[in-house]
Amino acid sequence: MTVHERNPEPSNPLGIDGIEFIEYATSQPQAFGALLQKMGFAAVARHRSREVVLYRQGAMNLIVNAHGTGDSAPPRAPAVAAVALRVRDAGLAFQHSLDLGAWEMPTRASAMELHIPGIHGVGDSLVYFVDRYRDFSIYDVDFVYQENASRKPPPVAGLHWFGVVQAILPERTPDWLDFYQTLFGFSVLPRGQYFGVLPKGTLLESPCHKFYLQLIEPPPGAEEVHWEEGLVRVGLGAPDIPKAVAALKERGIVFVDHGAVQPSDKGALTQVYLEGLTFELVVSHLKS
Amino acid sequence: MDTITLAGPLEAKLRAVRGAGFTQIMLNATDIVGHPDGEEAAVAAVRASGLRVTGFQVLRDFEGLSGRLHAYKVDIAKAMLEMCAALGSRVLLACSSTSAHATGETGALRKDLEKLSLLAVPLGIKVAYEALSWGRHVNEFPQAWEIVQDADRANLGLALDSYHIFATRTDLAPLQDVDPRKVFLVQLSDFMWQEVRSPEERIDTARHSRVFPGEGVHSEQVAGLVRSLDEMGYRGDYSFEVFNDDYRQLPLPVVAKRARRSVKWVTDQVSRRSLPPRRRPT
Repeated sequence: MTVHERNPEPSNPLGIDGIEFIEYATSQPQAFGALLQKMGFAAVARHRSREVVLYRQGAMNLIVNAHGTGDSAPPRAPAVAAVALRVRDAGLAFQHSLDLGAWEMPTRASAMELHIPGIHGVGDSLVYFVDRYRDFSIYDVDFVYQENASRKPPPVAGLHWFGVVQAILPERTPDWLDFYQTLFGFSVLPRGQYFGVLPKGTLLESPCHKFYLQLIEPPPGAEEVHWEEGLVRVGLGAPDIPKAVAALKERGIVFVDHGAVQPSDKGALTQVYLEGLTFELVVSHLKS
Repeated sequence: MDTITLAGPLEAKLRAVRGAGFTQIMLNATDIVGHPDGEEAAVAAVRASGLRVTGFQVLRDFEGLSGRLHAYKVDIAKAMLEMCAALGSRVLLACSSTSAHATGETGALRKDLEKLSLLAVPLGIKVAYEALSWGRHVNEFPQAWEIVQDADRANLGLALDSYHIFATRTDLAPLQDVDPRKVFLVQLSDFMWQEVRSPEERIDTARHSRVFPGEGVHSEQVAGLVRSLDEMGYRGDYSFEVFNDDYRQLPLPVVAKRARRSVKWVTDQVSRRSLPPRRRPT
């Protein structure tokens, strides 16, 4: 008989269980859609009433919102506007977050639309809570699936969500650590434990161990650079980076191929697309 | 300087403060909401002044409430935080509660201050918690420091106000236990009489009869406080929290000049101690 030593798990107060979807906002949905297809995503459904499209690749759901929110028009360059977390109970997660000091986001659901509770995250971004992801899909309510398209396009080279990169202002790391630890139960990885080709900032692991968050302050000497707080990039995990890079190059994606961030076994960074968008590949032990 | 010392419209206050050579200003919510052209015009005036905003005041009676009162205060706090952020202020001043409805249970006070700090994180604001000398449960800085320490939030720290410290005759020795990086603001003022015994007397003096450091009867204590802060390594901002009915009916440049004179007095107190003794040439 084997005795498994179980170390105490960091608490997971909301029952977080990975990322349900990542939402981008952009006023160039067609151009972005074409890029996403090169990245291996396929459009699978459209929102019933808004200019919103669901893209999918393997286990990843990616929403492109060209509708804008409230009074504001979507930005031109595609920007990460929201991260939807899978949780045990969305209503409870929402209430728990408000009790601890989160800001409620204004509701956007219209009549007969699914209400997804959410809170304000960094910058203009939102964090949604989704609890129906096992036997029922939230997309079935508000989206119409494309005819003749697979609802489950397979991933290119095993791509899956690895994490999100967040830019923060100087000396703000402790503030944001408090935010993610208190609200969601993230834990800080020891200094020096990094993934990918951009080893900097502070790395946080989700309490479900299914994704990461990287906090990045402006580098020294960057005083002249315009630096705002916000979600700047997603990281896609792949078990074999050279294979994933080759597959994506084949599809027309261009990677930065010089300096410290050139493709290696650890990761790779795409060139800047659509005036400000990049994707990062990270060698990953996570499941696709 | 602090806008509460001066009479008149916001733009005149900003001009007078700038004119006296100050580079920072401590703002009060009434400066913003009381602007005849509205909040946006007030924010624009502050941004155009070139003055750095030291902090924004004041959130009152936040902690220790429950039920509807708590929910109401959270709404007030959110509105204050939004104004604070719009002004480019990195510090919100929150005074210890005077409410008869507030509990004194430190766990509950801590929890509420943690919530306030979390609300402040996305806006990039630090919360400076101050022990008001007539606070119901927290009225001396060591109590406030204990709660701040227990909460252990990066953006929650202390505001120290010399008036409140002297009014309650609080011993300065516990200051040595305070982490200087967790002091987010120091407010200096003095007053003209030796003692303020009752809470009513403290309130009355605090709101109407403060004077600039160097003008009152506790000069030695003010100097001692500033020297202690300097020695413990505090390098943050100072502001003059001077509520004075007389100053509010004097021309603004006259009051700003007195403030300027007080700056010199304060810096003299510190430099007198920290400079090495001058040797006579042999």
